[in-house]
Amino acid sequence: MIVESGQLALVLALLATGYAVVASVMGVARRSPELVMSGRYGFYSTVILLLVATAALVYAFVTNDFSVRYVAENSSLAMPKAYTWVALYAGNAGSMLFLAIIFSAFALVAVGTIRKRLPYTAPYATAIMAMVLLFLLAVMVFLANPLSRLDVVPLDGQGINPLLVHFGMFIHPPVQMTGLIVVAIPFSIAMGALLAGKGGNDEWVDLGRTWGMIAWLILTLGLLLGSWWAYTILGWGGYWAWDPVENSALMPWLAMTAFVHSIMVQKRRGMFRMWNMVIIIIGFTLAQLGMFINRGGPVPSVHSFAQSAMGWIFLGFMAFTLVASIAVFVWKVDTLKSRGRLESMLSRESAFLAQNLAFLAGAFVTLWGTVFPIFSETASDVTITVGQPFFNLVNGPLLLFIVFLMGVGPLLPWRRATIGSLIRALRIPLAAAGVIGLIFMIVGPRQPVATVAFMTCAMVLAGIGQEWVRGTQSRHRKGENYAKAFMMLLSANRPRYGGYVVHISIIMLAAGAIGSSFYSVQRDLVMSPGDTETIGEYTFTYTGTTHQSHPDREEDYAQFEVYSGDTYLGEMEPFRAVYPDFRVASTRGAIHSTPIEDFYIVPSEFTDGGQAVFRVLINPMVWWMWASGPIMILGTLLALAPRREPSPATLRVPAGMRPAGV
Amino acid sequence: MKNPKTILTVALAALAILALACTSNTGDDIPEIERKTHSLNKAIMCPVCPGESIDQSQNPLAVSMRGIVAEKLADGWTGDQIKDFFVERYGPSVLLEPPREGIGLAAWVLPPVAVVVAIFAVFVGLRWMRRTTAIPSAVTSENTVMTLDEQESYFRRIEVALDLDDTPDGPSLPS
Repeated sequence: MIVESGQLALVLALLATGYAVVASVMGVARRSPELVMSGRYGFYSTVILLLVATAALVYAFVTNDFSVRYVAENSSLAMPKAYTWVALYAGNAGSMLFLAIIFSAFALVAVGTIRKRLPYTAPYATAIMAMVLLFLLAVMVFLANPLSRLDVVPLDGQGINPLLVHFGMFIHPPVQMTGLIVVAIPFSIAMGALLAGKGGNDEWVDLGRTWGMIAWLILTLGLLLGSWWAYTILGWGGYWAWDPVENSALMPWLAMTAFVHSIMVQKRRGMFRMWNMVIIIIGFTLAQLGMFINRGGPVPSVHSFAQSAMGWIFLGFMAFTLVASIAVFVWKVDTLKSRGRLESMLSRESAFLAQNLAFLAGAFVTLWGTVFPIFSETASDVTITVGQPFFNLVNGPLLLFIVFLMGVGPLLPWRRATIGSLIRALRIPLAAAGVIGLIFMIVGPRQPVATVAFMTCAMVLAGIGQEWVRGTQSRHRKGENYAKAFMMLLSANRPRYGGYVVHISIIMLAAGAIGSSFYSVQRDLVMSPGDTETIGEYTFTYTGTTHQSHPDREEDYAQFEVYSGDTYLGEMEPFRAVYPDFRVASTRGAIHSTPIEDFYIVPSEFTDGGQAVFRVLINPMVWWMWASGPIMILGTLLALAPRREPSPATLRVPAGMRPAGV
Repeated sequence: MKNPKTILTVALAALAILALACTSNTGDDIPEIERKTHSLNKAIMCPVCPGESIDQSQNPLAVSMRGIVAEKLADGWTGDQIKDFFVERYGPSVLLEPPREGIGLAAWVLPPVAVVVAIFAVFVGLRWMRRTTAIPSAVTSENTVMTLDEQESYFRRIEVALDLDDTPDGPSLPS
């Protein structure tokens, strides 16, 4: 009964969404606010209907109702009930429901704000969001219903993929999926403004930027959490492998990073109006491509948890939105004339454009490498793999250039800069980079590429520091103490100083990536119980293995006593679990992590005599990558925090000038 | 210590020392043959585990392939010979890096072309934005909100006029 009401709720949600599209569009055409409003409420109602459907699915999971196909395929009696949350989005049909409910909830908030602040744009934006939701619901109702029943009820379900049984899986996939689908919101706002003929009017920019940054933050966290999961559970000691699905999540991130920057040019200078439209269209297209590759895409990937033909339907919808967006853009392009004019080739504006193109070039070459196996197969019947070495070589320099621009761009003034002023602004940052370079050349291990990369990071940090010091001192001279001056500085221009905080977190991320890719030390060791080995300053003794049998898996725990120099670090216990039903082995590394480096042990093989093969790594600076997450969130929130509106009430009017009676 | 300049200098110096400490492991004590094994493992794909190199994969086939690599290196094979050995058995897709010949060359050619196009696009875009005359604001002022930039200079003019200026001088303010 409950399952059936869930099915009914899905169908009703489909109808309500369809109505929202029609009523919003018709309402504008007939100039009927009532019709527009009814469309909006139709859209709002989907949140409740989708909640009912989700509750029905959760109920089926909790009661082990294996007559529901999705439950039978994604859970079993042995599965701990907490993993219902993971099972909800582990398969295709469930992930569609997850995307739909998340999107309808976010869209509810978005439409609520758009309606008040952008009344002309709102009906169009609502219609576009409703179309996205309509697509998800149509796929569910007609192709992959998460609540459909089986004719023959199995006694037990097939269980959940063991690689998903990890704490990281409670958050990484939902955050990643949320990030991808939320890109549809800034896209809808931009396209809605364009359709309403308000694209050349910059009033959509604030909300577009806010939602663009929300999507950006969620995408970033999704990528970070995914890397963390790979690092702790996939057991090869790395966190990023340029796998197709990783790439497909990186591409929209690159485009959205470009967007949250270029939108500032329109906010401040009324320029880049066409460009921002182009870039958000690219961003949403890449986000859909991400979902396509994830949902049974054509490229072999470690993420192929849910293979099916559904990916191709995503591709079709992507093609449709792309063509439709381009058509709207061409139709309305006349309304997008720029208000400001570029005054100088050397200015903050031009740095933003260079940065945007660098991000898009990065997205493009990533796309090229990701689809190349398909290309080579169609073009010449030879499947060529494009893997890590290619992406490191191609994307490495682009990313380094982007970090460099991160150091230069913010120091350039808007409108017009001269070579002289640029050199003056860069004097201290360049000196800092030079000092780092010298130190590394004299004392450090000679890795020229890594040295240049660290120098660039130092330049960015010194540039930000210089801005903070100057701003703080300037306020200090006006009588605020240093601490207060600094806090006031941060809150005075929030997009700017929030941006700096995010830049610092990106440098932490970059430092972690540079440190661990250039200075990682790896060994594969065959050890018998009692053996002691040394790597760097770490000495570790393999004391033995304990075996544990579980209904679904066999686990081998290896025990190590670990010393760093003479300091006892404690016992480390990496393990390997084998799931015979899935023929999958999952290893969990044991990691001793400090800001300087991670000491990482993972078993690769256990043999009968108690002998085992271990992979031992020293990964410098990885800690900084995970630590960057919270700082990134703080920075983004600061950049998003609403500014005090400059209104007459906040203007301090000297008493003598106050008009009588006020 | 209270001066922000001192704090900044100390912070940067501390970071430099940290970076040096982080990169002090040179791995010089690793036997050459193990180094070679690792770099080869990272260049060879596991044929049955989608998207993973044999270095990454926990699959039994990958484990045995790692063994073959180590064995052959110990027998004095070169890296290229070992790669060829696997290509003969599993086809060219077993290598992670596209070959720099035949169709694989296309993979390598396009990215630099893309970068050149991007650089070109920046210059064309900048020149185009220099040439286009902006819409005079009087025409659009009735339905256009002020950009932040205009707002700022507007309020600044008011503040200057009222002698209330307490904004910090940053490069973002038009003077």
